[in-house]
Amino acid sequence: MQKEPTILSFDALVIGGGIAGGEAALNLANNGYKVILIEKRLSLGGKMIMLSKVFPTLDCSACITTPKVSEISRHPNITIFTESDLTSIEKRGEHDFVARVTRRPRYVIAEDCTACQLCEEACPVIVKDQFQYNLVGRKAAYIPFSIASPKVAAIDIENCTLCGACEKVCPPGCIDFTQEPREYVINAKTTIVATGFKLYDPSNVPRYNYGEARNVITSMQMERLLAPTRPFHTILRSSDGKVPDKIAYVLCAGSRDDSLGNPICSQICCMYSIKQAQLLMGALPMADITIYYIDIRAYGKGYDEFYEQAVGMGVRFVKGKVGRISEKENGNLTLKYEDVTTGKLKEADHDLVVLSVGVKPNSEPAGLFTTHQLELDSLKFVKQSDPLLSPAKTTIKGVFVAGTATGPKDIPDSILSAGAASTEAICYLNQ
Amino acid sequence: MKKKLGIYICACGGNISDYVDIEKVKDSIKDEDCVILAKTTMFACGDSNQNDMDTDIKENNLSGIVVASCSPKLHLSTFRAVSERAGLNKYNYVHANIREQASWAHSDDKSGATDKAILLVKAAIAKARLAESLEPIVIESKRSVAVIGGGVAGLKAALSLSRMQDEVFLIERESRVGGKLHELDTISPEQITGKELLTSLEEDIKNEKNIILLTNSEVVGYSGNIGDFKLKVNISGSQGQSLKDINVGSILVATGFNSYTPADGEFGYNQIKNVITLPQFRNLLRNNNEKLVYNDKEINSIAYIYCVGSRQVKGDNKYCSRYCCTAAVQASLDVKHKYPEIQNYHFTRGVRTYGKQELIYKESNRVGDIYIQFPDKKPPVLTEFEGAISIKAGDLLSEKKEVEAIADLVVLITGMVPDKDTSLGSLLKLPKGRDKFFNEIHMKLRPVETVIDGITIAGTCQGPKNVMESVNSAMSAAAKSHSFVSKGELELEPIIAYVEKASCNWCNACSNACPFNAISMIDFEGRSVATINTSTCKGCGMCLPVCPSDSIELISFTNKEMESMIDVLAQ
Repeated sequence: MQKEPTILSFDALVIGGGIAGGEAALNLANNGYKVILIEKRLSLGGKMIMLSKVFPTLDCSACITTPKVSEISRHPNITIFTESDLTSIEKRGEHDFVARVTRRPRYVIAEDCTACQLCEEACPVIVKDQFQYNLVGRKAAYIPFSIASPKVAAIDIENCTLCGACEKVCPPGCIDFTQEPREYVINAKTTIVATGFKLYDPSNVPRYNYGEARNVITSMQMERLLAPTRPFHTILRSSDGKVPDKIAYVLCAGSRDDSLGNPICSQICCMYSIKQAQLLMGALPMADITIYYIDIRAYGKGYDEFYEQAVGMGVRFVKGKVGRISEKENGNLTLKYEDVTTGKLKEADHDLVVLSVGVKPNSEPAGLFTTHQLELDSLKFVKQSDPLLSPAKTTIKGVFVAGTATGPKDIPDSILSAGAASTEAICYLNQ
Repeated sequence: MKKKLGIYICACGGNISDYVDIEKVKDSIKDEDCVILAKTTMFACGDSNQNDMDTDIKENNLSGIVVASCSPKLHLSTFRAVSERAGLNKYNYVHANIREQASWAHSDDKSGATDKAILLVKAAIAKARLAESLEPIVIESKRSVAVIGGGVAGLKAALSLSRMQDEVFLIERESRVGGKLHELDTISPEQITGKELLTSLEEDIKNEKNIILLTNSEVVGYSGNIGDFKLKVNISGSQGQSLKDINVGSILVATGFNSYTPADGEFGYNQIKNVITLPQFRNLLRNNNEKLVYNDKEINSIAYIYCVGSRQVKGDNKYCSRYCCTAAVQASLDVKHKYPEIQNYHFTRGVRTYGKQELIYKESNRVGDIYIQFPDKKPPVLTEFEGAISIKAGDLLSEKKEVEAIADLVVLITGMVPDKDTSLGSLLKLPKGRDKFFNEIHMKLRPVETVIDGITIAGTCQGPKNVMESVNSAMSAAAKSHSFVSKGELELEPIIAYVEKASCNWCNACSNACPFNAISMIDFEGRSVATINTSTCKGCGMCLPVCPSDSIELISFTNKEMESMIDVLAQ
């Protein structure tokens, strides 16, 4: 039993190990600063590491994320805590932050694990795999996903039956059920908040029938179906294994809609839907793909050209908002929508519907600061105190923000905002 | 001593293995001379494979490795780092690109793609057999940065660099800094004008000791390399012109954009009275008070035509200018605020107020502005009508029926085009994209770096951006430039050309061919011969084929190495 928390000191504390937090940590570390990176989940890489390919270049997302993550995890100036909860941050003065962190046990001795997966094979418990967005199952003893960093097994203690099967087969004997949470006190001179965003939960919209209709999925589930580390070796409906040939995209699912409490545009959904449509046309050349949209927001470098490319490839774009989605007996879906260009209410049948879910704020960081208030904006994103001239500044001096914690952003913009946050942090450390 | 090689063939999660039979590739090369081990892997770049490589190199005492995967542009540095960690000199790692050159290029011919991949890997093995250990060239790096362009991006970059303790030369060709900030009114999402922003930036700049501001100044000469760039700056003053030499470790380019100028007759521009561009309109708003008057006419209704000069169906500008939808909506809200009686009509191609900017679009709808979305191929037609202007366009929202609006003033929402002064880009040899803006190396991996080591780009010279986005990119570029100069020294690639002095009879051909001015003439034992500046040479190889006596070799790409590869490929 740990009696006293371990005390550690760094130049910078970075909260969140997604692409923005990772980039900010790297920038600081490359300039000689000692950084601690705190990640809530079992792996670094955030949402980006789960994606298939990225727009508008169609680079494979893993090809970009894994080397970055690898660089972060091997950097001599960066210490990483995964599976860790930050419970509070005090600001005692300028350049004087004190954070309390709990490292949850993996029940695996990380240094000894070789990721051989024998524990996974032996484990008799099957639960839904959150890393595959519930499309398939995983074991209670498991490697989060094949390109996870660190690639180390973990025991899902909530679901584990303590049968000991994993312990028996583990070659280095690194399963350890006696592990307990470890408490840390972290001293840092500056803090970067890179806590990312939450995906909109479409079960809040009854008319989409998500969770009820078997073949209505979210865009993140489609990312998994398309990814190199995908659960199946092809695109199929996980309900019945049928390869879809008439796929619909419902844009603005949970965005630009006051009635759902989210008035803003999520900034990324048009583009990722267009990207997925192009990938689907490659994977399923015979499939028809229809995108139901309000406006196409292809605003970035090369984006409009990417949209025109999709039009040229034969993706059908229908300007109109989708109302109800109802399920037929064979699992196909009927979409009721308003076709704006004809002004008529129409119906169309599809065998797979993808909801292009948007970006919701993650307001958790606001609750972490005990001595000062990290203010949120009216939409519950982290408030930028000077959005035009110092976009990375927050309402607490010495605390900076990177990535989607301040609002929807695509990957290039998240990375640039992380660059800005690290520059602000270095300037602050130099004061 | 005979080399011991390890070969890694990557599936790239299907990107390669869907078309190239990587097991067959492995089997075809595993018995090649010097090959000790050959493996296939899901992701060669992944953490677990990097660990495997590390272990393999150490356990088998490998003296060279070949990685067959994607383009070395993506992962050369990844695998060099693996080699170094495992104690193998990184120049003993050779790359074979079997994704761009085999699987992607020949996705219609799987067996052909596999055959080609086998040859590419064999050629890399041939080169790896001859590869030699090399040490990087270490040079001193000046702790100073030249920021070219004094708009919002340049100003923020200069401030950031100065606060990170770097010396900064801020070079602005106009007589004052601020760039386009002078022309901007309310900037979303703050209720603040460009002028106000500029005032606060100028105040900050004044307080920085590390910034040397040069106005009326243009860069006219450029030489040197990362860590040691030499710039000649032409300064125009009241006493005429003067030249100043500047020596910096890095250059940050933030030269901004121009507003698109419509052609005569484009939506009636310069032909129909009261058709103006967005910048002209901003100017008009600033200089009017009680009533909005233009050409002696009181303005009661305004039509805005979007995407002028952007997303062109016929012209060359295919890109979206990103900032203009929000800028137009904001300008129309400014109008409403000052003159509530004026009716605004927006002719759009789909409003792109992405992200939180959506809120001002909502506000605009709330105050009663009318939005008409016209089909891409049926743009509005303008005619003079009883002292006003008639705008007719198809309307997507009413079954493409033609709608007509009568307005006293038409504002063309002109987008961003690259700076028409292309001299700096040519001088620095900065590559441009299809959109003619400067190009970054990689949008996600290296978004502010250019292919010229030590030169970064920020703001709208890289592509359209709003103020916040320009500032983010400027501060990112500052972080990058800072990392080039902050350590005092830099390691350069040792893959450069060298001259066999014995056979060289100086003929000048190599120095004419060199794009980097790295070759000069020296005296050697009473003869004139060529010599290569080791810190300027980029190892591009342009000098090699033009040498009549074959006296130049490229380190790591010697004739012997290249011939050994060609022999394999020609089999």
